[in-house]
Amino acid sequence: MKIIKVRSYLFIFSMMVFASSGCLEEIQIETKSFESVLVVEATITNELKQHEVLLSRTFRVEDEGPSFESGATVKVITEGQGEILFDEVDPGRYVSGEEFRAEPNVKYQLSILVGGRSYSSNLVQLTTTSQIDNLVAERRTNDQDQDGMAILVNSFDPTGNSRFYRFKYEETYKIVAPYWRMEDTVVLEDFDIFTALKPCDSVGFVPRPIEEKICYATQSSNTIILASTNNLNEDRLVRFPVRFISRDNFIIGHRYSLNVKQFVLSAEAHNYFEILSRLSGSESLFSQIQPGFLSGNIFSETNQNEKVIGFFDVSSVTEERIFFNFVDFFKGEPLPPYISDCETIAPLEVILSGCPLNGAVRSGRWKYLDLNTFPGDGEGPYLLVPRVCGDCTEIGTPEPPEFWME
Amino acid sequence: MKRLLTLLFLFKLSFVFSQERTEIISISYDNKSFEYILKIIENKYDYSFYYVDEWLSEDLLSGDYIDIAIEDVLDILFKNTLLNYYRLPDKKIVVTQNSIIYNKLPEGYFDTERTLVVENEDYESDNVNPVFITEEKSNKVVKVATVRIGKENRNSNRKFFTISGVVKDTKSGKVLANAAIIVKGRNTGVSTNLNGYYEIDLRPGVNLIQTRNLGYKDTETRVIIYNDGRLNFDLNEEYEELDVVVVNVNKDRNVKDANTGVVQIKVKDIKNIPMVLGERDILKVAITLPGISTAGEGSAGFNVRGGKADQNLILMDDAVIYNPAHFFGIFSAINPFTAGDVQIYKGNIPAEFGGRLSSVFDIKNKDANTENFSGEVSIGPVTGNVVLEIPLAQGKSGLLLGGRATYSNWILRSLDEPSLQKSEASFYDVIAKYNHKIDNKNTLKITGYLSSDAFKITSDSLYKYSNKLVSLRWDHKFNNKHIGSIIIANSGYDFNIEFDGDTNDDFDFRYDINETEVKLKMKYNFSSEHKFDYGISGKLFDMKPGNIEPGRDSDIQALTIPKERALEGAVFLSDQFTINDQLQFNIGIRYSFYAALGESTQRLYEDGLPITDASFIGTEDFGPNEVIETYSGPEVRLSGRYFITPDFSLKGSYNNTFQYIHTLSNNTTVSPTDIYKLSDINIKPQEAKQYSLGLYKNFDDDTYEISLEGYYKRSENILDFRVGADLLLNERIETEVLQGEGKSYGVELLVRKSKGKLNGWFGYTYSRAFLKLDSEFMEDRVNNGDYFPTNYDKPHDFSAVTNYKFTKRFSVSANFVYQTGRPVTVPVGAFILDGAEYVLYSDRNQFRIPDYYRLDLSINIEGNHKIKKFAHSFWNISVYNVLGRNNPYSVFFVTDEGEIKAIQSSIFSVPIPTITYNFKF
Repeated sequence: MKIIKVRSYLFIFSMMVFASSGCLEEIQIETKSFESVLVVEATITNELKQHEVLLSRTFRVEDEGPSFESGATVKVITEGQGEILFDEVDPGRYVSGEEFRAEPNVKYQLSILVGGRSYSSNLVQLTTTSQIDNLVAERRTNDQDQDGMAILVNSFDPTGNSRFYRFKYEETYKIVAPYWRMEDTVVLEDFDIFTALKPCDSVGFVPRPIEEKICYATQSSNTIILASTNNLNEDRLVRFPVRFISRDNFIIGHRYSLNVKQFVLSAEAHNYFEILSRLSGSESLFSQIQPGFLSGNIFSETNQNEKVIGFFDVSSVTEERIFFNFVDFFKGEPLPPYISDCETIAPLEVILSGCPLNGAVRSGRWKYLDLNTFPGDGEGPYLLVPRVCGDCTEIGTPEPPEFWME
Repeated sequence: MKRLLTLLFLFKLSFVFSQERTEIISISYDNKSFEYILKIIENKYDYSFYYVDEWLSEDLLSGDYIDIAIEDVLDILFKNTLLNYYRLPDKKIVVTQNSIIYNKLPEGYFDTERTLVVENEDYESDNVNPVFITEEKSNKVVKVATVRIGKENRNSNRKFFTISGVVKDTKSGKVLANAAIIVKGRNTGVSTNLNGYYEIDLRPGVNLIQTRNLGYKDTETRVIIYNDGRLNFDLNEEYEELDVVVVNVNKDRNVKDANTGVVQIKVKDIKNIPMVLGERDILKVAITLPGISTAGEGSAGFNVRGGKADQNLILMDDAVIYNPAHFFGIFSAINPFTAGDVQIYKGNIPAEFGGRLSSVFDIKNKDANTENFSGEVSIGPVTGNVVLEIPLAQGKSGLLLGGRATYSNWILRSLDEPSLQKSEASFYDVIAKYNHKIDNKNTLKITGYLSSDAFKITSDSLYKYSNKLVSLRWDHKFNNKHIGSIIIANSGYDFNIEFDGDTNDDFDFRYDINETEVKLKMKYNFSSEHKFDYGISGKLFDMKPGNIEPGRDSDIQALTIPKERALEGAVFLSDQFTINDQLQFNIGIRYSFYAALGESTQRLYEDGLPITDASFIGTEDFGPNEVIETYSGPEVRLSGRYFITPDFSLKGSYNNTFQYIHTLSNNTTVSPTDIYKLSDINIKPQEAKQYSLGLYKNFDDDTYEISLEGYYKRSENILDFRVGADLLLNERIETEVLQGEGKSYGVELLVRKSKGKLNGWFGYTYSRAFLKLDSEFMEDRVNNGDYFPTNYDKPHDFSAVTNYKFTKRFSVSANFVYQTGRPVTVPVGAFILDGAEYVLYSDRNQFRIPDYYRLDLSINIEGNHKIKKFAHSFWNISVYNVLGRNNPYSVFFVTDEGEIKAIQSSIFSVPIPTITYNFKF
């Protein structure tokens, strides 16, 4: 027997000319079929205060903001202790008529009557209390390789009953206007058509208030920050990151304070907020969560199929504050860039069609920086900077808050 | 010169009659044409060659041989050509083109479902492709008839008269090319051309004319020649002995097979199809066929006829592959150089298969060459691939080894997503297949396979997953009617996630599923009317649904979700029942049985209430291997074919299927971290019923193939999930699950042209797939309990795969794909809660993303074919997504800095050119 031998060696050499790219891009969306749904924001806590309930309605994605739900009868029914009525103080904002605190082992129910339809929540009890041990501020590099400050929470519940946590914070920071000067320019309103040498008012100086140099601003968290110790051996949170501020963020440029509120949630509330944040959180290219309507614990009594958004939450809360200075962690390093890059202008006093300097000074959007000693072509006698660079009241208030400590 | 571009099977050829002595010759030629060399042999040694001139290449050859067997010279000459030769007595050598003569049966020949029983004069073994036709061993002559040609002309003194005619197949009337017409006792003979036509000069008087054609009975005719004339031959097919087999491509299988919805893809057919990143991929070709789709680029898993991605039984050499995808499905985990072909059953699933609702992908690796060492090496832009075929015992056993791996992580980096810039992704797969022909009755095949992926999407987590499988198959032929196979297969899939961040929650998460199957299947060819397949199979599942261990300095609590175990068994019987030439049925029944086994603690919930924590009433413990719950049911697999005309058939089928294993995935696509869940007390098996009806027609000598098939499918207990379900490490998974009803229907049109300068196919599918999640309880209801489109419902799906050959060396290919955008759930409003803006979503899957379309082009250039050139080259320049269409893979919404943003993700948004240079030597 003879054989025809066939050998096949296949050698493939390939070369790629150009690498591809996948892509995430933001697209414009329009609400195709809008659904107006009641939105309830109601958390009562064990703090003695006038608690709030906020009612609004959903709005079109392309619209600016919600419409508030006015004229509702809002009350919290406490088991065996009657009702607490809430009065509408602003549109959609309902505040309890008296101060109260949620007590343990009492069942609370939220009840809303609006537009002839009634809504009520499930019965909810106050969660157990847990203390924040301390807050730690630390300089670190985050997952995205950014240098910055992290504020970490250490918290422990020896009874092991808390398990589910939500954090909200309020940050307050000191702002120092980098180009604050002793004096301000002012338009003297001295133009007199009969005596004037030039067709514009002259510009003079007045002292600038020292209050425009140092200010304080406060902002609240607007994300859902949740933690759970459910998979841990102990009901202990160790160095849980509540806030990360990039080194380039001007808010930590001088002195910074963070007040962290720790809410102990029920498992259901935690689940609700977790899914809510998951549905709105960051997504990767390769996976996505099936979105859908998330029902909370508030339901329509009038129409079973009506959607209601929100969770009536009765939580125990503790809070803790921390301060730090930029120099404590970035000694000898340049300050983070200010909120504005403070580019100067030097408007001419007079041009054919008007008085640019007068206009700039009158607008209030510019602050005096210096004399323009050697004016260039087309430049006027004074250097001006954007207002925020010479006057911090544009973004803060001059009085330090009560809790502020230097 | 033509070359065998793809050799699925190594062939060897020898046709030497035993009574013939091998002649020793000496010959020398320098830069001579093929024809010239044959002439030298003819003149010098008095041989006669029969061939068609145009078969012979014009390349010039050189050689110098002294005292060499004539066969050796011919072997050398015919090597690297498409030509074979056939020695006849009296120094006649018939050259044949294309017909490849095997002395060895290719892979799958003895598979029971593909067996050809030879002693039955019956070729209805419809699953065989190509069809094998036996060649007679002896030169048995059927009959000698006497024919007189022409009118004698006394004045004629011509020494020769010309006889011409056509050779045809008696049964089909098809003309036969390459048939040899030989004048017995004289050194003359010719062969027929492509039209079956021949012309031969004969001496006046009595001539004995023999015909020979592979696969046909020889004939001998006594012809008395008086003048020029015409003589046609009708040849009968010959099916006698299984000694030597000839391959013809079975082009009419589409029409003939009694099963509906069967698709076959052969690796060699996909060479010219433009592919992303230059990777040839058999499963990617599958989705260009009607009825098979994916959710989009970068999504693993297939949706077959409205089925979920977990409803496909993907088998490689009889063992299940759980996740046949690398790198999120951009590449498949099937090595394109070791895979032989894939058979996809999307309509009637043969009774031997079960356990998945929608389809079976039956992937077979090729058998190693047992004669010669050979190999293929490829270096692609993404991967390197080495395949070796190592003969171990000459003609008996061989080993196929394949390995493929990525070079680097640059693919991920080149994806334009900042969060992926620090990512890594790498994968590899290795395969070994041993085949051993013990004797004529016993064959053994063993396959081992491992694939592994590792990727890092964020700097602190590492994901890994791998598939492992081992299968052993022993085919035994009891007698000519009875063939059996024993298959033992073990498959495993596991993944793990290592998280190493800078908090106290570092962990190592593991998931593992393993199954072992033993299957006995028998094929019994009772008669030409009845062919039975029957068998029994048993499968044991062992699953570790999740295990988390704390990392260093981590407060994560170690947690192990208890193991799950189950047994799935089935008996099956099917009969291929041929009633007459027109009508054939495949009647199959499978009875499947499932038992969830302990040790386990099952949670019990109050009857008549939604399964939630609120309705939990207690637990029940089961001991090791104690039966927790059983499910069973008959599965009918009924299919029939009726020939309206010999190339036009009508087929219909009904079948039902059960599936006892479910994936837990709230993603649209198959994700590497999908967990499987076995049915238990709270989660019931899925069930589907499918009806289909189709028309199949081949035209123009099987050049064109058209099929139109419709289906209607209903399913029950399809798994879906509550909004935002948390599926990892969940001990109470049943509280996250909803089971609903599915409904899908569609019409699939496929037009294929397999010959000619322009070849390829286009497929169009109109289909819908719906799901209904209804309950008396509001929390168990989605979209008010109405049917809603599934997230892979794409009504219009059009694919065209075309290739145009300008010359032998130059061809152009194009793919075009159009699909309706898939449904998504989109925002219908926004709301403010705690100062941040969130999205209110529409009813589930109420809207659709924009339509998907894509055009790919490629140019294939074969290098020139000088005989002395060392290597044969092949250039492929292809551009994927020529139109640069930014096809949305998905649209999702994020709340960033308190504002809602809509983000569209796409995988390949720009044209991707690839140049591939291949050469083989």
